[in-house]
Amino acid sequence: MIGRRAEYRVIDVHAHLGPYSLFYIPESDAAAMVAVMDRTGTEVTVLSANRAIQQDAHLGNSQSLAAVDAHPDRIAAYAVINPWQDPERELERLAADERFVGIKVHPTLHRYPVTGARYAAVWEFAESTGCPVLSHSEHRSPYDAPAMFETVAETYPGSSVVLGHAGITPAGVDEAIEAASRYASLWLEVCGSQMTGPLIRSMVDQLGSGRVLFGSDFPFIDQRMSLGRVVYAPLTESQRQDVLSGNARKLFRWRPLPGESGERGVDDTDE
Amino acid sequence: MTDSASSVRPSTSSTRSTSSTSSTTSTTSTTSAEDVMAGWFDARIVTGAHPASLLPPTDRDAIAAHLDRYALSGALVSAMASWLHHPIGGNAEASAVAHSLADRGVLACWTAIPATAGELESLTALVDRALDQGVAAFRIHPLSHGFSPGLLNELYAALETNRLPLCIDAAEISWADLSTIATRHPELPIVVSNVGYRKLRELWAALDGHANVFVDLVDFAAHQGVEWLAANNLADRLLFATGLGLRDPGEGVVRLAWSGLDDATVQLVGSGNASRLFGSGNASRPSGSENADRTSGSENADRTSGVRRADGGRS
Repeated sequence: MIGRRAEYRVIDVHAHLGPYSLFYIPESDAAAMVAVMDRTGTEVTVLSANRAIQQDAHLGNSQSLAAVDAHPDRIAAYAVINPWQDPERELERLAADERFVGIKVHPTLHRYPVTGARYAAVWEFAESTGCPVLSHSEHRSPYDAPAMFETVAETYPGSSVVLGHAGITPAGVDEAIEAASRYASLWLEVCGSQMTGPLIRSMVDQLGSGRVLFGSDFPFIDQRMSLGRVVYAPLTESQRQDVLSGNARKLFRWRPLPGESGERGVDDTDE
Repeated sequence: MTDSASSVRPSTSSTRSTSSTSSTTSTTSTTSAEDVMAGWFDARIVTGAHPASLLPPTDRDAIAAHLDRYALSGALVSAMASWLHHPIGGNAEASAVAHSLADRGVLACWTAIPATAGELESLTALVDRALDQGVAAFRIHPLSHGFSPGLLNELYAALETNRLPLCIDAAEISWADLSTIATRHPELPIVVSNVGYRKLRELWAALDGHANVFVDLVDFAAHQGVEWLAANNLADRLLFATGLGLRDPGEGVVRLAWSGLDDATVQLVGSGNASRLFGSGNASRPSGSENADRTSGSENADRTSGVRRADGGRS
């Protein structure tokens, strides 16, 4: 049985910030999120503001930057690129502002396929700079089903793309694993209401532990719910630490996360 | 585990405070960290195979291992077969596990459906039979089993009379129907499970409006939802549960262990509230037919008074 204090070093690569219209989120501000991180051993969280994904990418991205300014050692920001809201402008902003460390896209919410031309600038930017891209992925979605990312990887082999939720459902996870097995540029992230430790083990078994990333989706889903699946997943301790933070340090090399200089700072993975 | 019903402080609508959350774990308890983390009661386990999930096994031995792994004092077990195959017939599987692990504090939760010719003769008789077998609670699945919750009024009355809690998944019933049952049966404890992270507005109305509504930790996934309840003096309505068989048990364990609750409140959620509702906490209780003794005499009276004490101040 674990104790009341966290035992792992954690980097959370999938988080949000602020209120959401569809449901009430208690304490969705950055300070409350950092307080949760203190309890869970989370060194850094990479987030995109809910306003950015839900309604206004530009204003929401500004909220994300404000959170970084308030907690520069603990929070890093994705720039949300909405294909309908002047993506070139936000990409230019991303390029110029080093507080952004990656790109977040949400094809399902924005009702535009991840393979569509309006996303081309995102993949080109990612490929030319090394900027990682976190995308929502959802089994059977016409916008971001895991298999669709194979097209992205085929066309832009130099872009590092994280399949957020790894397809969400158990069948979606299988599809995500299949896609990531074919393309080394695809990474899997483990948050989602249907995720389990055995599914995470399945990812690690088939991909190695080097491309599986911890994300929680907090403050949608409480970070501890997502963390519990990894903490108790049937993994070796080395694999678990890769998932919880080591791999994130590897992925975010374009603009290193707070707490490191950019060199690889973790042990070798089991990959 | 040192927590007990006697340490539970009743909550009242008029005296909600923010005293239950603390970043410094301030508590009046003198228990050690190990004590705080041991002896939780898992208020929801489902035994039997799930047809569409990749989850740990949940047979008798797996449940025993689950109790060991998380240092649990016991659990409330219902049957997957009752949910997904044979509602009444599956109850025997829940009772078999409970009887086999009675010395580990495992209790059975039976499933009910409306009395229907050829399927179930009488809900009152079903409850009587459950009491004879030491069943600690009932569960209903109106959506999955295709009936209106109003068809179980006889069940609610029988459960209320005997202070047996009614358990139900949020997805199985409308919040309006839940409110109707809670209103008509104010002494019937109702435990809502699988609330997810999108239903706090509805949950708040249910908890605020009905002192007999509780919620368990199975997929209670709202960010800071646990702390939000405690800050609103509703920690005595929250029960630790993993949902083993339906969910990854690590979710609930880590959620409570690394919560912002002080140690005393962790114990309350971990086991104290379940002790009041289910009469849990007597791991040495005899199994089999001897369990029938629970339904009369002092133990039943303790459970009844525990529920009444917790609810009384808020009614």
